[in-house]
Amino acid sequence: MRLVLHRDSPVAITGLGCVSAAGHGLPASMAALFAGTRRPAPPTRLRSDLPTRFPVFEIADFEQPVDELRTSALGLLAAREALTDAGLDRDALASLRVGVCIGTTVGAVMGEENFCRMCLAGLDPDLAPVRRTLRNNPADVIALAFGLNGPRQTIVNACASGTDALGVAGSWIRAGLCDAVVAGGADGLDRVAYIGFASLMIADDEPCKPFDANRKGLNLGEGAAMLVLESDPTCRRRGKRARSRLLGYGSAADAYHPTAPHPDGAGLRRAIGEALAAAGVRSSDLAFVNAHGTGTPDNDRVEGRVLADVFPGVPYLSTKGLTGHMLGAAGAIEAVFTAACLELGRVPASAGFETPDPEIPNVPTREAQPVSGSVALSQSLAFGGNNAVVVIGNP
Amino acid sequence: MRIVVRGIGVVGAFGCGIARLSEALQQGPAGRVGLALTVGRELREIPVLRADTTPLEAFVPARSLRRLDHYSRLALLASHLALADAGPDTVNPDRLGVVVATGHGATGNAFTHLRMFLRDGDACASPTHFANSLHSSAASSISMMLRATGPNLTVSQLDLSVSCAVLTARQWLLEGRVEHVLCGALDEMSELMGYLWYRQRGMPTSPAMTPLRTNAETAVPAEGAAFVLLSRDERGAEAYCTIENVDTGGAAGSRPCSHPSDLLVLAADGRLDSGPQYAARAAHARVACYSPLYGSTPAGPAFDVAAAALILRHGRVFGSPGGEACDFPATVARAGEPFGGSAIDCLTLTPDGGYGLITAGRR
Repeated sequence: MRLVLHRDSPVAITGLGCVSAAGHGLPASMAALFAGTRRPAPPTRLRSDLPTRFPVFEIADFEQPVDELRTSALGLLAAREALTDAGLDRDALASLRVGVCIGTTVGAVMGEENFCRMCLAGLDPDLAPVRRTLRNNPADVIALAFGLNGPRQTIVNACASGTDALGVAGSWIRAGLCDAVVAGGADGLDRVAYIGFASLMIADDEPCKPFDANRKGLNLGEGAAMLVLESDPTCRRRGKRARSRLLGYGSAADAYHPTAPHPDGAGLRRAIGEALAAAGVRSSDLAFVNAHGTGTPDNDRVEGRVLADVFPGVPYLSTKGLTGHMLGAAGAIEAVFTAACLELGRVPASAGFETPDPEIPNVPTREAQPVSGSVALSQSLAFGGNNAVVVIGNP
Repeated sequence: MRIVVRGIGVVGAFGCGIARLSEALQQGPAGRVGLALTVGRELREIPVLRADTTPLEAFVPARSLRRLDHYSRLALLASHLALADAGPDTVNPDRLGVVVATGHGATGNAFTHLRMFLRDGDACASPTHFANSLHSSAASSISMMLRATGPNLTVSQLDLSVSCAVLTARQWLLEGRVEHVLCGALDEMSELMGYLWYRQRGMPTSPAMTPLRTNAETAVPAEGAAFVLLSRDERGAEAYCTIENVDTGGAAGSRPCSHPSDLLVLAADGRLDSGPQYAARAAHARVACYSPLYGSTPAGPAFDVAAAALILRHGRVFGSPGGEACDFPATVARAGEPFGGSAIDCLTLTPDGGYGLITAGRR
């Protein structure tokens, strides 16, 4: 198989699936988005002796099988919905070369906490949790569950992982490496991350308020989102119409700080520029931007300024006020919401926003509103200064 | 359009730099050192292959290294070595992408982070250790230290991490996203990984790794980093070899594409669970295997690419340490054999049927 350069051709998106605290499945999630329903609360599955019980967006009615990690189980749930939406059953999948590209943070970490606790206590704990971790690489789990034989890749690019996974998957399709790719992100709520974000003092002790003047930080969330990307010849053979198209992808590094974004958003600007150029669209063509919008003071200030500068007058929102920050899955679910909102021609209010921040020139959407245009952008900023952007369009 | 290897940076138990790897390929494996572990209430020491990152001080002021952990140091050292090997002023950092492969990530920092809050309470967690426990921390350190503002990606696919990373790096160059990509792999032998190795596989007792003997466990756990500087081929620019092709997949009984390669460099590393895969797939081929030089690590296939590049540059095959113990019907290339072929396949196989294939070609 030889790789070829077809960078600018759009890639069909034929299936969408997601699960988060906003809902099980895309229809329920979209209904929650437009209803503005959000119920962050102190975690029920995690214990902590932190003096503050930071609220999280936890999926209440989901228990993973004992031999699966929560991250992988959530990934499977979203992948099943996306493949069903794409009309790809096991027989259809068996005749195709299908890749899997998944972003995660928690899903690739060795060192399960209870196991380590027992090690440190001088005990020799059972190895079952370690074996479970090794068996639960998110891309492998999905590939094995659906009998997929193409490339498998787990991307661990912190909070940009889900967006990067879509970009990499798109390049596989364009290069002819795969007929289809299950691409997205998955992350279960994790105590190490919960404590870690608290230690960085960027977790909000109230429901998060992306882009609001009084924002104090993020709320962690959990879940997964998957998109089925397909080559046009495969779509034609199956008689399948694209729901949306992945038009462009860009990514760039700030090369600035381990946890803070570049103050001028240098990497983000470059990633946006690359994604727009790859998509062949101008910033004024965009119907809306689904921003990273974590609710942390630094992220939202930098991102808000870049949005005002690069996309003046283009509506923008953050959906993290409804899902929490799903880390490696964030970019994926935001891409799914972007595609679904484009289909609808409407975007919801940016949940949690009330008071404009004088340091951010534009304000996010205050209420659900119609949008005009057939192209939108979803972006992610990550620790380490990684920025990733996808441009999605109606078919 | 062809993608070429312009520079190589390696650090492992054999030392650091492509010259040291070349010497090791001719002279044989380095000695093991002991890694002290607490197992239950007892102190044990298991033999491992470790990498020394002290030479990083030749590239980076000591002051800038204070907050860099071993994981990031490994990656940064191999990156600097690859750039130095390619020659000064080869790279414009604004047009440099970074792709890092790791099988298990920053396990040392992750374990330290856990230890701190398990011992002292959740409120005593260290924000620095948390940030540095991310798999992507090494790639971020590279971008910050080298001011590399191009795309930056970290992948973690266990033993197939390297083929995934090279696939992406190659694609970035073919798409014209960047002019150069620093692409490499690293894994560290932290206390946690040493303990897990011991518990899963027991004390390494074999006097030497014999990875082509597939019916015995002879693996020695190791750490190291191997990076290559990849570019599009340009007239007049020095290069070791091309990266002709990358293929990876599996999980459903598929097979790697077959290429008319002249030599198969196997990533077999003495683990009993993957050995039979190699015996089945490499039967009747002309093979080589160099893992005893850098040990059993998910980063191993990146060292294989470096070894293939040296073979293609010098036109001679290196001997396979422990190759005389090969227990399947393959032809193990002998030390010093001329290599006039056009391609070398670096093959990685996993127990569940996954594969990674990186084809290095003569330029």
